[in-house]
Amino acid sequence: MHIPDAFIPIPQAAVYWIIALIFIALSLRWARKEMRDDKIPLVAVLAAGIFAIQAINIPIPWGTSGHMMGAALAAIVLGSPFAAVFVLTLVLIVQGVLFGDGGLTVMGANIINMGVIGGFVGFYSYRGLCPLFKNVYPAAFIAGWLSLFIAALVCAVEMAIAGTFPLELGLFSMGLYHAVIGVIEGGITAVAIYLIHTARPDIMATRSGMVSS
Amino acid sequence: MNTKTFLFAGLAVALVIAAMAPFIASSNPDGLESAFFGIFGAKEIQGSEINEEHAEVAEEDVTAITGNDFSFESPFPDYTIEGLAKFGEAAAIIIGTILVLGIAFGLSRIMARPE
Repeated sequence: MHIPDAFIPIPQAAVYWIIALIFIALSLRWARKEMRDDKIPLVAVLAAGIFAIQAINIPIPWGTSGHMMGAALAAIVLGSPFAAVFVLTLVLIVQGVLFGDGGLTVMGANIINMGVIGGFVGFYSYRGLCPLFKNVYPAAFIAGWLSLFIAALVCAVEMAIAGTFPLELGLFSMGLYHAVIGVIEGGITAVAIYLIHTARPDIMATRSGMVSS
Repeated sequence: MNTKTFLFAGLAVALVIAAMAPFIASSNPDGLESAFFGIFGAKEIQGSEINEEHAEVAEEDVTAITGNDFSFESPFPDYTIEGLAKFGEAAAIIIGTILVLGIAFGLSRIMARPE
């Protein structure tokens, strides 16, 4: 879902950068307040793992492919949507600057879609779904699916504002592809939470609504 | 699992994923690219064939629409290292993974520091 430079006019891209910078500032405030020595390895490993897994594009129908975004995972495990903004911003900067994956002028939009929308939708849907299922894994799966699907729809709206995609066709095609890619997001989110919970139950955030098992 | 073990186990998992990525990843366009090709007539939205000629025209068309022709040379474009094939890609993703780990670790350390 990495938007390349050519897809958004520079003035609009600048507006997205300003919005993104506000959220980056808030994510740094989160880090300043919540970061403790025992959380550092988890943040570092999550960022590295999310970068690596984003390099694996899994084929879906319609000659298309998709990869995990990781924002829901970061938000759930670290217990704040701002943690997702923190982690995804680092990942997107390295991807854009070093590998030309995602444009630089439009990086603000990519941070909003994947970090902010992904993180907030993932975190709050997980929180809402946990009591419903009384089990973290189906909640994590659906939260992961929703985080990617909603981010894709927001991206389609940005494309419509940019004049790049017509709104309806953009929403239809982005929705169609990402409804399938969301299954990858949800699946890996649930599995990763299981693995982290097994290895280090103590460092996972508890305020995020984790149901103790 | 103590913290050091967790850090190294996590890094090991990330590096294995990074090393495998170029060999198992699909080269199909991603969701956004595929929607773009579909909307700009280089592909059917629910088809799988891409018309390469139309795809090139589509890229010119979108730049004309947005007027954003910003471009810059990244050191490892599309996760490739010049002159090296798949192993170069694996190396590029491994470098990226270690770099992200280092930056995240360093920045988190700074953030965790008391006033």
